[in-house]
Amino acid sequence: MELHDKIRILADAAKYDVSCSSSGSNRENKNGGIGNASFYGICHSWSDDGRCISLLKILFTNICIYNCSYCVNRCSNDIERALFTPDELADLTINFYRRNYIEGLFLSSAVYKSPDYTMELLIKTVKKLREDYNFNGYIHLKAIPGADINLIRLAGLYADRMSINIELPSEKSLKLLAPQKSKESIIKPMSFIHNQLLESNESKKLMRYSDKFVPAGQTTQLIIGATPESDRTILKLSENLYKLYNLKRVYYSAYIPVSNGNNISGVTSPPLLREHRLYQADWLLRYYNFKADELLSEEAPNFNILLDPKVDWALKNLSLFPVEVNTADYNMLLRVPGIGVKTAKRIIKARKESPLNYDSLKKLGVVLKRAKYFITCNGKYYGGCEIEASKIKNRLLPKTNVLEGQLSIFESFYKTENNLPIIV
Amino acid sequence: MVNYIFDGTFDGLMTVIYVSYYNRQIPNDILSENSYQRNFFGDDVYISTDIDKSNKVQDAIKNKISQEALKKIFYVYLSELESSYMLIYKYVRLGFKIGKKIDNYLQNDIVHNVIKLSQRVNHEAYKMIELIRFKEIKKGLFYAKIHPDYNVLPLIVPHFAARFQNQYFVIHDVKRNLSAVYDKKSWIITDISPEKTLITKEEEDYENFWKIYYKNISIDERKNLRLQKQHMPKKYWDILIEKQ
Repeated sequence: MELHDKIRILADAAKYDVSCSSSGSNRENKNGGIGNASFYGICHSWSDDGRCISLLKILFTNICIYNCSYCVNRCSNDIERALFTPDELADLTINFYRRNYIEGLFLSSAVYKSPDYTMELLIKTVKKLREDYNFNGYIHLKAIPGADINLIRLAGLYADRMSINIELPSEKSLKLLAPQKSKESIIKPMSFIHNQLLESNESKKLMRYSDKFVPAGQTTQLIIGATPESDRTILKLSENLYKLYNLKRVYYSAYIPVSNGNNISGVTSPPLLREHRLYQADWLLRYYNFKADELLSEEAPNFNILLDPKVDWALKNLSLFPVEVNTADYNMLLRVPGIGVKTAKRIIKARKESPLNYDSLKKLGVVLKRAKYFITCNGKYYGGCEIEASKIKNRLLPKTNVLEGQLSIFESFYKTENNLPIIV
Repeated sequence: MVNYIFDGTFDGLMTVIYVSYYNRQIPNDILSENSYQRNFFGDDVYISTDIDKSNKVQDAIKNKISQEALKKIFYVYLSELESSYMLIYKYVRLGFKIGKKIDNYLQNDIVHNVIKLSQRVNHEAYKMIELIRFKEIKKGLFYAKIHPDYNVLPLIVPHFAARFQNQYFVIHDVKRNLSAVYDKKSWIITDISPEKTLITKEEEDYENFWKIYYKNISIDERKNLRLQKQHMPKKYWDILIEKQ
């Protein structure tokens, strides 16, 4: 098979693993080698679906012995199959890198012959890049569920980031859709990497030049919409993963129904709005000090279609508002819709020198369209209405969407991007 | 109503500041001789660039204001906007008065404008680092062309020099006729334009592979060209292989 066919098939097979970042590592170039890693990550291009391309994201092979229902590469699916050699892949990576197309490599794979056999092939490829090509750019390597722990440890010495995808948000769904993967086969490597990272951080304190092990940490992915879990189940799972395994990111991938496998029914279009809400909530957990229980409860376990989670929370907690921008503490400022992390920091900085006036708030980055209902400036309220949930909601939503009954406009959670409601 | 004219270089601008303080004279405007049109309503004074005076001013900025402030001023200068020279002058005067806390005065228009403009220049430099594409025009020699709105070439070359230690490269700003040249040891910026050369067959292959990869990594069901253009403005598409 020609190289260009392999690239076509194996890029197409890799696109549903949505992790895209090249951040978290400040690996330096050395010994006249090629490449370094930028701590904040660099995107080099954007594909037609609007997502960023920062790494060569590709499968080593899509030949798989498993038959997971949600996966386009499942063995019962009739598709073209291909397989790289470590040399081909390393050469391709280096040559793309030299041309500034990519920051590095994101290497995943279907389970080829066995988890260990596959893991060994991946390790061979990245070892070649690091040692033969003297490559110091970014490498994100997948951990294959069920692979031997010693192989995971070896892989971690070459990679900047590793990840293993949980995919199904509950054990029940996992058993139903991917019976060949056990929960243990996924959690064990994740737990191992976590413990190794703790150990390696400890030894870094004693010896400066300890071997780098996965310096950019680990991430995972959850598939949204292939199975019936609520937003609350998914968000609480994420919260626990961050707490227990100190993951850098949890990615949410809207299930794209491409010839559904067994036990998946009723999904006609990708749940993009739902995925969007989960990312919004995920940001609130990580940067805004929210807890999952504050955002979703057992009585209301799914996100509001019309309002983003932050506004939704604010309207349910109006007793805490309005907040005076000249005196409120950082954490309370963060809770105001229309005030983000950067803006809250600027407010704290600027008000040290002189009291803020309303006209400067826009300069500082406050989105007054939203924030004005929740703040006062020097004691004065500029919202123009009573601080009452339905009144504020009416003003926030575009006129046509005001009536709750008009849910026909938002028939289902499942809408393609072009029809997303405009949330103010 | 005096206008100060200078040679358009950063050192020239710093000299202007020195002279203005020495003469205890606040100019009406500061203009670069490159885009200067004689104004008959005021006296125009030409300030010759003096490296010593420039260094003194830069040291004073570093010490009395901050290293960060000097960086911001340089970025604003690279914007090449006519209004930026007087803005820098006012910022420096303010900075000498307030000191290193100047960047907390976010409500002040001068501070706000300097921060915003330096952010725009920084943003474009970052976009260049993202979107530059190299071609191997000769074995081991990589060439890239750019045409940025702001003069960001000096900001981006260090990044590539650190990253590509073992390859020769040239980055050509076709708008300004400036080229950055790296010889595996150090880099310079020159106004000698590189001759056009053909690309190798191997180069064609890799460009083709990239186009195939780029097309197939996109999820068609999630097509969102508006989001794509937001991150990758159309004005840069002519340098992107994948958009040819």
